[in-house]
Amino acid sequence: MTRYFIKRLLGGLFTIWITTIAVTLLIHLVPGDPVQIMYAQSQSTTPEQIEQIRRNLGLDRPIYEQYIMYMGRVLQGDFGTTIRGNQPVLDLLLVRLPNTLLLAVTSLIITMVVGVTAGFFAAYKRGTWIDTTLMTGAIVGISVPSFWLGLMLISIFSVRLGWFPVSGTNLNNLVLPALTLGLANAASVSRLTRSSMLDVLSQDYMRTARAKGLAETLVLSRHAFRNGMINVVNMLGLQFTYMMGGAIVVENVFAWNGIGRLAIQSIFQRDYPTIQGFILIFATVVVIVSIVLDLLYAWIDPRITYN
Amino acid sequence: MVQPQTQQRNDTLLRVRDLKVHFPILRGLLQRQVGAVKAVDGLSFDIKRGETLGLVGESGCGKSTTGRAILQIEQPSAGQVYFEETELTALSGEPLRQMRRRMQMVFQDPYASLNPRMTIGDVISEPLEIFGLAAGREKQARVQYLLAVVGLSPEFTYRYPHEFSGGQRQRVAIARALAVNPDFLVCDEPIAALDVSVQAQVINLVQSLQRELGLTYLFIAHDLSVVRHISDRIAVMYLGKIVELADRVSLYENPLHPYTQALLSAIPIPDPTVEAKRQRIVLEGDVPSPTNPPSGCRFHTRCPWAIERCHQIEPEFRDVGDGHYVACHLVDALGKFDPALGD
Repeated sequence: MTRYFIKRLLGGLFTIWITTIAVTLLIHLVPGDPVQIMYAQSQSTTPEQIEQIRRNLGLDRPIYEQYIMYMGRVLQGDFGTTIRGNQPVLDLLLVRLPNTLLLAVTSLIITMVVGVTAGFFAAYKRGTWIDTTLMTGAIVGISVPSFWLGLMLISIFSVRLGWFPVSGTNLNNLVLPALTLGLANAASVSRLTRSSMLDVLSQDYMRTARAKGLAETLVLSRHAFRNGMINVVNMLGLQFTYMMGGAIVVENVFAWNGIGRLAIQSIFQRDYPTIQGFILIFATVVVIVSIVLDLLYAWIDPRITYN
Repeated sequence: MVQPQTQQRNDTLLRVRDLKVHFPILRGLLQRQVGAVKAVDGLSFDIKRGETLGLVGESGCGKSTTGRAILQIEQPSAGQVYFEETELTALSGEPLRQMRRRMQMVFQDPYASLNPRMTIGDVISEPLEIFGLAAGREKQARVQYLLAVVGLSPEFTYRYPHEFSGGQRQRVAIARALAVNPDFLVCDEPIAALDVSVQAQVINLVQSLQRELGLTYLFIAHDLSVVRHISDRIAVMYLGKIVELADRVSLYENPLHPYTQALLSAIPIPDPTVEAKRQRIVLEGDVPSPTNPPSGCRFHTRCPWAIERCHQIEPEFRDVGDGHYVACHLVDALGKFDPALGD
């Protein structure tokens, strides 16, 4: 178990390292650099001055040198400062990370409750109008893009009904973005839950459970549900990381002050240290979630042991 | 007159009357019923307390469905099943659930019938728990006892089904079925999925448990030698019907129904000289579809002796003496099979 854990940890570090290389290459592929964008409108800056600023930031050096310098600093815990405004990147990210996590976790809970419940009932009432209605809803949910759903929710619940504020970052504002993100994912979770439950419900050991003399509620909760949930937990875990990514869109629609919104701003400004820092943090969260997931499996499915 | 009547009543544990299980075939957008698979189509028989009734027949003849329908795991379409004086077919919900304490089933596939995410201990103790029969240390002791009864080590309590072989799993399934101390056990081909070497172990286990615990069995199988070994009486099924039912000796020594004769002629004899002279009755054609069974006697399409009457009139399932039941036009009133009856 410990050996497995260490192996996973090293694998995770390797993944994060590869990500940093990929990101460094990618952001330099995007046309324009931060200095150009910063001084594009300014007539008073001479090309010599721009060159000087670039040299100060180290942007005149080859990419691999920039990368090595950057990684050297990161390993010492220094994520650099933003190009515009000169703020420490790490502080900026860490202040906003909890907002994004709060949004993602709330959405995940909505996804779990709505998706699993709907999928479970659809499977149990297979072939009835309940099943058809729920699964039609799921198709709609999967098809609707999150930015559109977000705008619709704003227009109904904020503008017309005035129940929630249009935008901002406090608990009152959490409801709409979390619903937007949660419902879209609940749709796909409900479909997976349904098929997974149908699979379990047709297993021989379900018949055994009934023949034993178990009441129907126990048959469902103890035998069907636990067995049906393993695929779903897998998907929920993947979706959590997906939600952190999806948060980028939703945070912008609702002006939720998370790292997703910061990432978009810094990409527009080609703020290299912030983008790199964002990806680094993001990759770390993804790696941690996937390790936690693996440990969770072993708990749900006793047949899985890590040796 | 009253005395033998009650005597007989007490001897009979289970009575099945005209049991039918039809599965509807639904087609089209509106799911209209266009037909039915007549898996079990009118069975009547008794099972005596303490006996083993063997049920044989080829694949798809409705053996397993019969077993399940008796225990109300499958809803019968018609007919009655009486367990002692209780009509099972009239029960549902909680009263039926309470009856499960007295009748259990061992399923065919030991790989699929155990919940993969429960320990052996949990599998066996769950029935004790739900019927409130034992708890805590007493429950643990009972699980250990049951494991010992079926010849497994008590240490297996905390292991999971996938760690066991098929034979071991079937033992677990038997222990699970025995946990509530039932009177009646349906064994649905409990050895079909096992190696031959393990089959013998499980059969011996089933037999010794019957002696020790006074169990009554309905033993479903398609292996004729096994059925002969284990049963007191044997019922032969063909296409959803019982064609012959007799005690073991009569059935094997004096098979009356042509289908039974054909089945028995297929058993190899472990003596080369006798084996060389063995006459096999090879049946032509395939089993007809249970959706649209043949008219008259269901076996007439494959019966080498079939006469005109067999095509039109369904033979009555009747006692031809000493509790030997058969459904064939060619068996005379004295219980003799006579192909000349048709002439």
